[in-house]
Amino acid sequence: MALLTLNTVSYDYPTTHGLVDLTLTVDAGEFICLMGPNGSGKSTLLRLLSGLTTASHGTYQLAGHAINAAYLADAVKRQQLHQQVGMVFQNTDVQLFNPTVAEEVAFGPQQLGLPAAAVTQRVTDCLALTHSTELRDRVPYQLSGGEKKRVALASVLALNPDILLLDEPLNGLTIAAQQDMLVLLQQLQRAGKTIIMASHNFQQVQSVGQRFLIFNADHQIEADVTQAELATDTTLQAQLMTL
Amino acid sequence: MHIPDNYLSPATCGTLAVAMVPIWTVAVLKVKVQLKRQRETLPMLGIAASLAFLIMMFNLPIPGGTTAHAVGGTLLAVLIGPWAACLALTVTLALQALLFGDGGILAFGANALNMAVIMPFVGYACYRLGQKWRHPKIGLAVGAYLGINTAALVAGIELGLQPLLAHTASGAPLYCPYGLNIAVPAMLAAHLLVAGWVEMGFTLLVYQFVQKVAPTSLYQTAPRTSQRRWLGLLLGLAILTPLGLLASNTAWGEWGPSELKHLLAQQHLTAQVPQGMAHGLHFQALFSDYAIAGLPVSVGYILSALTAIMIFGLLIRGLQHDTQLKN
Amino acid sequence: MIPNLKTKPLPTWLTVPNHPVKSKRRASMQFLSRNQHHLRHLLQRLAQPAPVQPSSWPLSPQINLLRLGLVLLLIASVHSFVWLWGLALLLGLQLLLLPPRQLRYFIRRWLLSCCIAVIIVLPSYWLAGPATVVFFGVKTSLMLANAQYFRLTTTFQDVLAGLKAWHCPNVLIMTLAIAMIYLRMLGQHLLLTTEALDLRLVAPTRHPYRLIGALFGNLYLKSYAYALELYAAMEARGFNGHYAKPVGTASHWRDYLSLSPVLILMGLLLFGGH
Repeated sequence: MALLTLNTVSYDYPTTHGLVDLTLTVDAGEFICLMGPNGSGKSTLLRLLSGLTTASHGTYQLAGHAINAAYLADAVKRQQLHQQVGMVFQNTDVQLFNPTVAEEVAFGPQQLGLPAAAVTQRVTDCLALTHSTELRDRVPYQLSGGEKKRVALASVLALNPDILLLDEPLNGLTIAAQQDMLVLLQQLQRAGKTIIMASHNFQQVQSVGQRFLIFNADHQIEADVTQAELATDTTLQAQLMTL
Repeated sequence: MHIPDNYLSPATCGTLAVAMVPIWTVAVLKVKVQLKRQRETLPMLGIAASLAFLIMMFNLPIPGGTTAHAVGGTLLAVLIGPWAACLALTVTLALQALLFGDGGILAFGANALNMAVIMPFVGYACYRLGQKWRHPKIGLAVGAYLGINTAALVAGIELGLQPLLAHTASGAPLYCPYGLNIAVPAMLAAHLLVAGWVEMGFTLLVYQFVQKVAPTSLYQTAPRTSQRRWLGLLLGLAILTPLGLLASNTAWGEWGPSELKHLLAQQHLTAQVPQGMAHGLHFQALFSDYAIAGLPVSVGYILSALTAIMIFGLLIRGLQHDTQLKN
Repeated sequence: MIPNLKTKPLPTWLTVPNHPVKSKRRASMQFLSRNQHHLRHLLQRLAQPAPVQPSSWPLSPQINLLRLGLVLLLIASVHSFVWLWGLALLLGLQLLLLPPRQLRYFIRRWLLSCCIAVIIVLPSYWLAGPATVVFFGVKTSLMLANAQYFRLTTTFQDVLAGLKAWHCPNVLIMTLAIAMIYLRMLGQHLLLTTEALDLRLVAPTRHPYRLIGALFGNLYLKSYAYALELYAAMEARGFNGHYAKPVGTASHWRDYLSLSPVLILMGLLLFGGH
């Protein structure tokens, strides 16, 4: 059974469209890259999937539940959804609000009521996985852009979400750190996590993404191709290179 | 705490707006001095004003399911300095009144006095005292609580004076219908019981966070501190303001038809004093004095209005001179 | 930092599927969504300010501002229906000059603000009798109508120009201008922060206030960073501490003509009774 399904979903902003008539099925354990020009609907789709907004038209089903305004209005269900779906924002500044990196990563697990030792374990593990151990006692507010991205990912991972949504996670990272993050994401995918990532950087993601959704300027999905299909389609590749 | 239009008589609004002019003048001068030390204060003023706007807009949960909102006067005073906070909050109130219809346009002076002057300065004075006694956080907590409550008290007095200052021939109030005996306890009860604690909690937690994360971005007091003298003067101004309000109000009330004027004056002399209201008693005494002196009531009013304006004018002169010397 | 290219195995807790924990306590984070709603509303309003209709009688900004003040003062000072009637007619005349679409917009906003005002005003005046309630309702709605008309016909730039012409200190005008721009940026930041916080709230928190402290602490630090950047940018552009005076239209006969009804009424009120 599909993990999540979008059926003819549209999303309208007050003056413009965000998504137009989108139908999509995602299975557990997929690694999906969202690509397309600025403002084409990648971020809107991620916001919709995370439950930050609801569709103007159409339905969204996640693991058998219809995610709509009524579902999100129920605080308990909403919190369960947040345990399953984690998101790294494009502007990670808004995501980090604790006084230290360690507290930032511990924020989620602590709420779950885990014992102190387990929380510490998760913090240590997540910081190690994102190569941020040395940032442990730093203040998130004073970190560099790339460091913030890594800490944001660590703080989301600490909740062990099944679905990981990432909005331009590679921005601001050095080439080596980008590689590190992609390797980690691949590892997570192999462990059964579903990863949906918006990115501009085709060269970096073409080797790790298994499925590519390409948006056009009309907020629709222009192409939905697998890695193998993309490898043979040179025109599409050339188009993605210019993004 | 935003007083909307039509709750205060135009005379009160005018008096308070005039009373604010010297305070704003001093604030601008003081901020100019602060700018020499910390140049980024200039853009910070505007940004702090928008921050204050958001603070006043943000609903905070309180037990029982309802919400309240903080004003942030004390917090801003501690973060960017009291004079800068005064200007920033003034701008916030102006934005709210002119562009968002929140708080009256005529009542702008009154709102500015309550929220942009009394609140940050009372709060900041307590914070400085706390700092002196090595307990800045206690000072801040007390300051936030006292600041908002003092502001509420003054707002209550402004509102509660209206039935005494402006009413029709039959005694029906023209503006806020509640006297001091209702307005002051109502404003104070709401703030002493709920809003004060909300303000205190909010102020403390934000301060704690900023202090922990980036202590250097807190407002540093100027090395040559003459803060206390300034605070004294300001408190003097704040105390004088209600006096000015009492004194000049009814002189402005002359605008009404002459009949009304006559009856109004009589009403003032014979109005029943709300029981146990010291302010009411004080007020009564002030006006009986004029009557005893044998002056026509209206002349007494005009004279007292002129006196109030003169006092403020003298204060401006004094403060300006002081600032120039310091530069 | 030298990145470690060797891959470490994932910890076991991260490799098992998530079984959402159901919290027993009811959540009390309603305030977050309520605030998000308010913030979105504010941002929408800032992003699409009400279309300003430059009136067919262009007045200089300072006269416009003065006019608003005088009219409000008049409304507040008079205590008879006849006067209010006259003032309402005066406003009606101005409204007649508005294009129909603007007029509809005006009426919609005005009725809305009147409803809110009446809800606040009514209970407090009820004790004084129904006549007072009606009178105050009329007065308040007339004031709101005038303020609304001002908002509809005056751009923010004009407000600034008007203040400048009335010798408002540069510091205040600049602060007002900066505040307006940054209100949107900080509002956006706060909205996103509450959303991000919401996404990571997986159980009812025991200390909502601590979170709020962190939210606003961060917002302050962010605004401090903005201020430093803005100052650098201002200096780079040769800022000298003065707000450039916009080219204003000099006051001429049109200004005085539009002021005259208000002034005449004011004069009548002041001296008519004697």
